[in-house]
Amino acid sequence: MDGFSRYLKLFLLLIKIGLMRQMTYRPHFFMMIAGKLIRMGLLFFFFQAIFLKVHRIGEWTYDQVLLLFATFHIVDYLISITFHRNLAFHLPRRIQTGELDSRMVLPVNLLFIVSFEETDLIDFFSFLPSLGFLGYVFYRLEFAFSWTQAVAYALLLVNALFFLFAVVLIIATISFWTTQSYGLARIFDNLLKIGRYPLDIFEGFWKVVFIYFLPLVLIAQIPSQALLETLSPDYVLFAFGVTGVFLIFALVFWKIGIKNYLSAST
Amino acid sequence: MTKFWSVFKLVWIERLVYRVNFFLEILSGILSSLIVVFLWVAIYRGATREVIGGYSIGEMVTYLLGAGLIYSFILTTAENPETSQSIQDGTLSTLLLQPISPYAIWFVRDLGSKAFFFILGLSGYVVVFFFFRQYLVLSASLGHLLFFLLSMILAALLQFFLFEALSLLAFWVENTYGIRFTVRVIMEVVGGAIIPLSFFPQILQKLFLLLPFSYLIYLPMRIYLGKIPLDEVPLEFLKEGVWIVGLALLNMMIWKKGIRQYVAMGD
Repeated sequence: MDGFSRYLKLFLLLIKIGLMRQMTYRPHFFMMIAGKLIRMGLLFFFFQAIFLKVHRIGEWTYDQVLLLFATFHIVDYLISITFHRNLAFHLPRRIQTGELDSRMVLPVNLLFIVSFEETDLIDFFSFLPSLGFLGYVFYRLEFAFSWTQAVAYALLLVNALFFLFAVVLIIATISFWTTQSYGLARIFDNLLKIGRYPLDIFEGFWKVVFIYFLPLVLIAQIPSQALLETLSPDYVLFAFGVTGVFLIFALVFWKIGIKNYLSAST
Repeated sequence: MTKFWSVFKLVWIERLVYRVNFFLEILSGILSSLIVVFLWVAIYRGATREVIGGYSIGEMVTYLLGAGLIYSFILTTAENPETSQSIQDGTLSTLLLQPISPYAIWFVRDLGSKAFFFILGLSGYVVVFFFFRQYLVLSASLGHLLFFLLSMILAALLQFFLFEALSLLAFWVENTYGIRFTVRVIMEVVGGAIIPLSFFPQILQKLFLLLPFSYLIYLPMRIYLGKIPLDEVPLEFLKEGVWIVGLALLNMMIWKKGIRQYVAMGD
């Protein structure tokens, strides 16, 4: 427990530093928050525009699509606040320049520090309204879900975070062997966006890919379906199982990557 | 002219240094538009009508692929961040000593970058076009096709002047990324990159058409699909031209004011 509270304190300190760093350019800070909120608002209009013309996307109604959309953004903001940029963009640069050396000598877990070193408070302030939006979607759904469904939803959201952590860590770890993993991270960013749509939109080969090979259904669709009670219990087990496998693979891969680190710098 | 050509070529050489990243960037752009296409194909298959919002499934797929191509490889491959960075880190000082105006260098570099990404992005899109060949719609007429090509060039110019005006604000503010990010976000939706603007409620449509963004994607794709009669296209170009000239003049004004107070901070 001491270890946990120590890392919690460190995490809170990193948040404080992150806030101080980002508040240095205040107009930029507030403009970014405005930009992210505008993006979310415009995407909401996008879905609204679609449903002005059709009643369903696949089997999904308007309210269900809004739940999927809100859930996706909750997960997306949470990873952006915490580990996403640290692992996908900062870590490859640090490996390339040899800056990782200075993190290796710190008396903290290396994976912890490279994952949470720069917290993104801009996304934190954009995350709060998205929570409000989720509340609005619950209201539209008339809170028609049981406590069990709500707990399953919350657990599957946490599961989505662990799954994405594993995937981003795998991509970032490739940087130990190549200087060009940045492009892979960009591709993943674009793939991630698929998670905001119902996976019913894909057919055949692509459906198999996004359910089994790179199971993006785990991000928002499975949690949303759990809340809507349209998910078979098998899929809940599938979700946790897949995340476990990805996480184990990512951690083993990371360890191998660290052993290959050459500390190349200027 | 040789000097400008050298700058243009230099951009291509720079871009080819990190070939893997460049290839992945192309792939990434293609994926982005594919996602939206898949969504619409599913919507049309589940719909009771063949035409939604004035677009058949073929027109919609063509619209989205064309919009994706323009957005990914013309509108987001701009060099405007370079302007901001040069002003902020002081490298503008070196550019000022060169025999071409820094503004001209940024302009030529931007066009070079756009041409590079568009030509190579288009070659990547050939696979996508083949994949969706049963849906693709040919341009309404040869005249529409020629006007479509011209409208893309105008869109490239409009995008440059719009974002360059924001980048030049670096003479006064320390970080212009926030404002550029916000405008880019607006450009994606209000420009028509993910959905034709005719799908939005009337009041939003009217508002969006008052802004310059609709000339970037929505207008070129409407021209290609023949949604605008040929004789009405020149009037649209005239309106777009007013925006381009207006923004170019604004750029000149900001540049002249900004350069007077440039303090050459940095190394």
